[in-house]
Parts: sequence; structure tokens; C-alpha cells
Amino acid sequence: MSLNSSSIPQADVASRPPLLRLDAIGKTFGTHVVLEDIDLSLAAGEVVAIIGPSGSGKSTLLRCINQLEPPTTGRVTIGDTTIEAGHTPTRRELMALRRNIGMVFQSFNLFPHLTVLRNVSLAQERVMGRTREQADAVSMQLLARVGLADKAQQFPSRCSGGQQQRIAIARALALDPQIMLFDEPTSALDPELGLEVLAVMRELAEGGMTMIVVTHEMRFAENVSDRVIIMADGRIVEQGPSGTVMRNPQTERAQRFLHAVKDR
Amino acid sequence: MTQDMLLTMVSGVPWTIALTAVALLIGVVLGIPLCAMRMSKLVVLRMVANTLILTLRAIPPIVWLFFIFFGLDTGFVSLNPFQAAAIGLGLITAANMAEIYRGAMSAIHSGQSEASMALGLSTYHRFFDVLGPQLFRVALPSAASYAIGLLKDSAIASTIGVHEIAFQASHVSQRTFRGLDVYAVAGLLYILLSLPIAWASRWADLHLRARVAR
Repeated sequence: MSLNSSSIPQADVASRPPLLRLDAIGKTFGTHVVLEDIDLSLAAGEVVAIIGPSGSGKSTLLRCINQLEPPTTGRVTIGDTTIEAGHTPTRRELMALRRNIGMVFQSFNLFPHLTVLRNVSLAQERVMGRTREQADAVSMQLLARVGLADKAQQFPSRCSGGQQQRIAIARALALDPQIMLFDEPTSALDPELGLEVLAVMRELAEGGMTMIVVTHEMRFAENVSDRVIIMADGRIVEQGPSGTVMRNPQTERAQRFLHAVKDR
Repeated sequence: MTQDMLLTMVSGVPWTIALTAVALLIGVVLGIPLCAMRMSKLVVLRMVANTLILTLRAIPPIVWLFFIFFGLDTGFVSLNPFQAAAIGLGLITAANMAEIYRGAMSAIHSGQSEASMALGLSTYHRFFDVLGPQLFRVALPSAASYAIGLLKDSAIASTIGVHEIAFQASHVSQRTFRGLDVYAVAGLLYILLSLPIAWASRWADLHLRARVAR
């Protein structure tokens, strides 16, 4: 199914069973409330962009999903795995969760001591139990897909930021995740290099990958995602089909934010 | 200086090397769990590690060696001078290595750990595949300077009768009533021993840096 996902009617997407569900997620650091009562459910193939001012909790929300930041309250459900805040998840639950969720970071976080190929292969061997040959074969395919097969034997430090981020995407895809999380994937890149990363992401979205993208790229939010969520002060202030939210926001807070960034 | 005197002093070299190597090995290995405890989430483990590290580093090595050799030996265990010195210097090295590892750990970006976790790597693989090799790279220069310091500190073992360079030097000097040339030779031997460590460390550092420019 390689439909342009933004052309999938919203009703169709919404009628499918959710792949990921967040119920009443809250996060506090000491007395500081970062997230409050976030509900979100995501259908297979859906692409959601989360936008909002800095400090609104977008990245923290993303990190709560794969438990890099354990939520203070609420529940994360993906497939058969439910992780409830307050109970320390077992290793098996964490593995099941993270195995199904790929994550791409703002600062790439490639492993500097490993070649590009080993970066993509490592977790396949350690987590999925693939042999080195199998893993390397998959990695080469993925590197070709992000246009970097010729960099396989290089170390990450020899690659540009945009290339490093594309490698990071390949590394996350290598575990066949059901969902991909992107935490401001282009914020550390100059605009031109950001474009090559956005192109890869757009291709992924069109290939039917389920994605949550925290971003400052308003055009990506409007044109590639099915749904846009606007966050401010740790809450969702507005959400809906991307075209509607981006062009015709209803709440005052969302209008203020979009007005401030509309020329980006 | 006669050939006989020189030979006696050189006969201390293997002991110095062996003592330094064994103590370093003990320290490099035991430093890992000690560092892990020091950085543990459990307050109890952290306190135990803190106390151990503080005690091992605050008490002079010579007091430790006397304590282990004369103190422990009176009772149930029987240690020869070499064993006592190796254990004492090894434990002190472990405390220092734990601190060197901890410093190196803080130099590694937290994103490395997060990326490993997001990929579902177990704690074991996170450490041995991702953090460990980078830690080694960062810790190497400090560990090498510590090793050179340890080589010199091993002279303390002469006080409990390990037949290493300083012991032989004082032996020869007492026998011949010559100090200047005897201790100068001893000093020269220490210089000759520390040079290869410095060279090896510099070579490894450059080699790793070329492979993994950060």
C-alpha cells in the first residue's frame, strides 16, 4: 500500500484500530509540570505532527512513549503491551515496547566508534538475533534506500549532519518498527541538509509508516502529516486534520502560535 | 659501579614490572564494579562505593601496605610481601580507576545511552557494545598517566620487603656505602620503564583518534 498517506480520508484512518494509545499521560519533574493529561491514539499508517512553542512538552511526550522518560501518570499501550505509570516495567515489557518503536533524535546519536554499517546492524544482531550476514544485508538495503550505501564503511564523523540523520533513520528502521518517533529530526541541521532528511521522511510516510514527528517544519506538518497536534504548556491545545488545523485553527493559543511561525 | 652492583639492581626490574602489572590489572577490573556502584541508583550502593573510594584514596599507600602486610598477616591469612603489595596497590588503583571511569562516562553524551535504549539493547550490550569502547577511548590517557604513577609508587613495596628496584638500590647502597650513583641508576631504571607506557598510550590514543574522530 503505497498511497500518499495524506490522501487517506480522515474517517478511514480513524476507523482502524489504534496501534498506539496514550491515556492520561502526565509528567512532572519535582514540582514542575511538563505534561498534563495527554490522550492520544494512533492508527496504523497515520502520520502525526506535533508542533508548538519550545518548552511545551513535545519532546518529553515523545520520550514518554518509549519510556526514555517514564511518565508520572497514565498508560502507554502498543499492541499487547501496556505500561502503566508508577509500576516499573519489566525488562520484557520494555523490550517489547522499544522493539516496536523506532526513534530518531535531534542530535542523531550515531555510535561514533562503529562504522555506518555496524551502526545499522548492531541492534539487529543483539535484539533480533540476526546473524551478522543477515543484518549487514538488511543494513545495506536500508542504506541504499536512504541513499547512503557508499558510506557503509565510513565512520559517522566523516558524514555530514544530513547524512548522519539519514543513517540514524536507517538504524531505527532496521528493527522493523511499527511506529517511528522523530524528535525534531532537522533542528540541528542547516536548511539544505534538513531537506534531504525531510525527503526521506516523506517517502517513509508515503510508504505507509506510522509516524509521530515533533517538528518546527510547518510545511512538513501541513503537507505530509495526516493530523497535526498543537501543544502548549504541557497540554494539547488543538488537534485535527493537518489542513484544517494549519489553515484554520480554532483556539486562541493555536492561532497565536501559528501566526508567530507562519512564515517558516 | 661494578657489574655485580648493576646486576643486583636490574634484578629488581621484573619485580617492579610484575607488581605494577598485577596491581594495574586488579584496579582496572575492580574499578568497573566500583564505578557502577558509585553511579548506582541505589543510595546504599552509592554510599558503600563512596566510602570505599574515599578510604582507599585518603590513606597513604604505605599505611595500606603496612596494614595489609603486618595487620592482616598476624591472624588467619598469610600473605607474602608481593601478595600484600599487589593487593594494597591494586585496591588503591581500583578506587582511582573507578573515578577515572566515572569522569570518562560523563564525557560521553547521554544520547549514546538513550539511542541504545531506544534500540532495545540490553544493559549488557549497551555497556559492552556502545559505552564501553567509547569509555576506553576517553579513559585511556588518564589511565596511562595513572599507570606511570603506579610504577613509581610500587617503590613503596620495598618497605615490606618486595625485591623490586628501590629495595635492591637501598640494599646495594647499604652494602657499599654509595648513594649517589646507586640511586641515580635506580632513577634511570624507572625512567626506562615508564617510557614504553607513555609511548604505548600515545600510539593507542592517536590510533583510536584516527579511527573515531569525534
